[in-house]
Amino acid sequence: MKNRKRTRGIEQIKSRYGWIFISTWLIGVVLFFAIPVIQSIIYSFSQMTITEDGVNTVWIGLKNYKYIIGEHTDYLNWLSRSITNFVYSLPIIVLLSMVLALLLNQNFRGRLFFRALYFMPVIIATGVVIDLISGMAGSDMTSSSVNESVSGGMFSVQDIIAVLDLPAEIAEFVQKIISDIFDLIWNSGIQTVLFLAGLQSIPSTLYEASKVEGATKWEEFWFITFPMLSNVTLLVIIYTMVELFVSNSNVVVDHVYSLMRAAIYDETSAMMWFYFLSIGVVMGIIVGAYKKFLQNRWS
Amino acid sequence: MRNIKSVSGSLLTKNTLNNVKKSAPDTLMFVFRMVLLISIGFVIIYPLIYMIVTSLVSRNGFFNSTRVWIPEAISPMFNYKTAWELMDYGNSVWATVKYELVSALIEVCACAVTAYGFARFNFKCKGLLVGVLFLTILVPDMMVLIPRMANYSNMDILGIFGLVNKLTGIDLRPNLLGTAAAFYLPSLFSMGLRSGIMIFIYIQFFSSFPKELEEAAWIDGAGPIKTFLRIAIPSSGVVITTVLVFSLIWHWNDNLLCSMYLNAEYPLAMQLDLLPTTLTTMGYYLNPETPETLAFQMAGCVLFVTPMLIIYMILQRKFIESIDRVGITG
Repeated sequence: MKNRKRTRGIEQIKSRYGWIFISTWLIGVVLFFAIPVIQSIIYSFSQMTITEDGVNTVWIGLKNYKYIIGEHTDYLNWLSRSITNFVYSLPIIVLLSMVLALLLNQNFRGRLFFRALYFMPVIIATGVVIDLISGMAGSDMTSSSVNESVSGGMFSVQDIIAVLDLPAEIAEFVQKIISDIFDLIWNSGIQTVLFLAGLQSIPSTLYEASKVEGATKWEEFWFITFPMLSNVTLLVIIYTMVELFVSNSNVVVDHVYSLMRAAIYDETSAMMWFYFLSIGVVMGIIVGAYKKFLQNRWS
Repeated sequence: MRNIKSVSGSLLTKNTLNNVKKSAPDTLMFVFRMVLLISIGFVIIYPLIYMIVTSLVSRNGFFNSTRVWIPEAISPMFNYKTAWELMDYGNSVWATVKYELVSALIEVCACAVTAYGFARFNFKCKGLLVGVLFLTILVPDMMVLIPRMANYSNMDILGIFGLVNKLTGIDLRPNLLGTAAAFYLPSLFSMGLRSGIMIFIYIQFFSSFPKELEEAAWIDGAGPIKTFLRIAIPSSGVVITTVLVFSLIWHWNDNLLCSMYLNAEYPLAMQLDLLPTTLTTMGYYLNPETPETLAFQMAGCVLFVTPMLIIYMILQRKFIESIDRVGITG
C-alpha cells in the first residue's frame, strides 16, 4: 500500500517535469499557431483594411468564399489541377524514395558515392534553385534528352506506348510520369533519407532468423521490411503531403503568393482555407486508408 | 523435415558450390541495380552540369543555339562578378547567417527539449497534445503567415501590452517586423520553420532509449533536467546531426519567411529570387526574359549553392554515418 503511494508520487513528479519540458512549445503553439489560425479564419470571413495600428476587419460572412467559388474564373480550375497533381505525385514519390532507400541500403561498391550523390536534392530541392533549374533545365531535359536517352534516339516513348497498345488513360499517365520524372526524383530526397534511417533501425536478427527459415527475398521484404517501416512510411506520407501542399509548382500556391505580396489578405485567406480543407479531406482519406489497410495488418 | 532442409541449405550458402550457383542472378541483380542507380543519378546530375555550364556562357555564346554543352564563348569572370555584385553577396550571406542560421540553431535546441518531454514523460492530455503536434505539421506555415505578420507589427503577449496601452497610453508593443526577433521567437518556442517534423524525428529517437537508463539516473539522484542534459543529449549526437543538417538547409533555402518579414537586408535566397528584377532595374537588360540573363541567374545559383555544399561536405560523413547509426539504438 505504502509502496503504491510512493510510486504514484514519483509518477506525479515525472508528469510535472513533462509539462516543464513541453512548456515552451505550449506557449509557442498558443502564440504562433492557435491564435494565428483563428485570426486567419476570421480574416477569411471579413473584409480587411490595413491601417497604422494593425489591421481592421469587418465581418462580411461568406462573401469571400462565395466570390472565389462562384465568381472567380480560375480558382476551381486551379484547385482541381492541384488536387489531381497531389493525388498522383504522392504514391509515386513514396514508392520511388522507398526503392531508392532499399537500393542504397545494400552493400555494394561505390555505395558511399551514390549516397552522397543522392543526397544532393536534399540540399537543393527545397528552395529557389529548384524552381529555377526545374523551370529551365527541367523542361529542356524532359522534352528532349530524357526521351532520347531512354530510347537511344531510335524511337520515342510515344512509339513504345503506341506499340504496347495501352488504354488511352494509362498511356497518358505513363507519359505524364516520364515528363515529370525530374520533379519527382528531385522531390524525393528527404524521403529517401528518412527511409534509409528507418531501414537501418531494423534489427538484423530478424533477417537472420528469416534466412534460417528459408524465406525468399520477397517474403523478407513483405513480412519484415515493410511492416517494420510502417511508422516511417506514415511519416514520409505526411511529410510528402505537406511538401506537395506548399510547393511552388502548385498553381493555387503560386497565385496565393502573388496575392500575398500584393497585400490582399482577406481573399487570400479564404482561398487558402478552402484549398486546405479540400486537400485535408484527401489527406484524411489517404492516411486513414493507410492505417486501416496496411498498418493494422501487423499490429 | 522442411526445417532440416532449410537449415542445411543455409549452411550450404557458405560453400563455394552454392556461390557459383547463385552468381547468375546476382550478376543480373548487380546490372539491374547499376542501371537504375546510374540513370537516376543522371537525372540528378544533369541540371547541376547544366547550371554550371550555362553560368559560364558569355553574351555572344548564346547566339548559336545548337551549342549547349560546349559553349562557343565564355566569360566566367564577368558573369560571376556581375552576379556577385547584383546579389550583394557578402552582405546577403551575413544576413542569411544572422536571420536564418542562428534561428536554425535555436530551433534545433528548442525542439530537442520539447521532444524529450513528449517522449519520456506521461502526463494528462498527452494524446491530445500529440494530436496538436500533428496538426502543426499538417497546417503549413503559409496558412498562419499573414496573421503572424500582422501580430508582429505590434507584438503583444496575450493582450497584456494592449491593455496597458489602453489604460495608460504607453505603447509597449514593439514592432518586430524587419528585426531578427521575428525569426528567433518562433524558433525559441519550437514553432519555427518545420519544427513539427524535427520534434517528430527527435521523439522517434528519444523514445528508443531504455527506461532503465532514466531510472538509474533517478536513483542516483539526478533529476530529469540533469538526466536530459548529461545523459540524453550526449548520447544523441547522431539524431542532432540529422536534424541540424535539415534545419540548416531549410533555413538557408527559405525565402517565404524573409519575403514576408523583411523590408531590407535580404538574405541570399531572396536576392537570388530577385536577381532578374535587379538585372532590369540596374539597366543590364530591358527584358528579363532574354537568354543572356540566364547566365547571370545560373552563376547566382552556383554562388548560392556553394556554401551549403561546403557545409554538406564537412558534415557529410557524419551525416551519412548518423543515418547508419540512428537505427542501432532503435
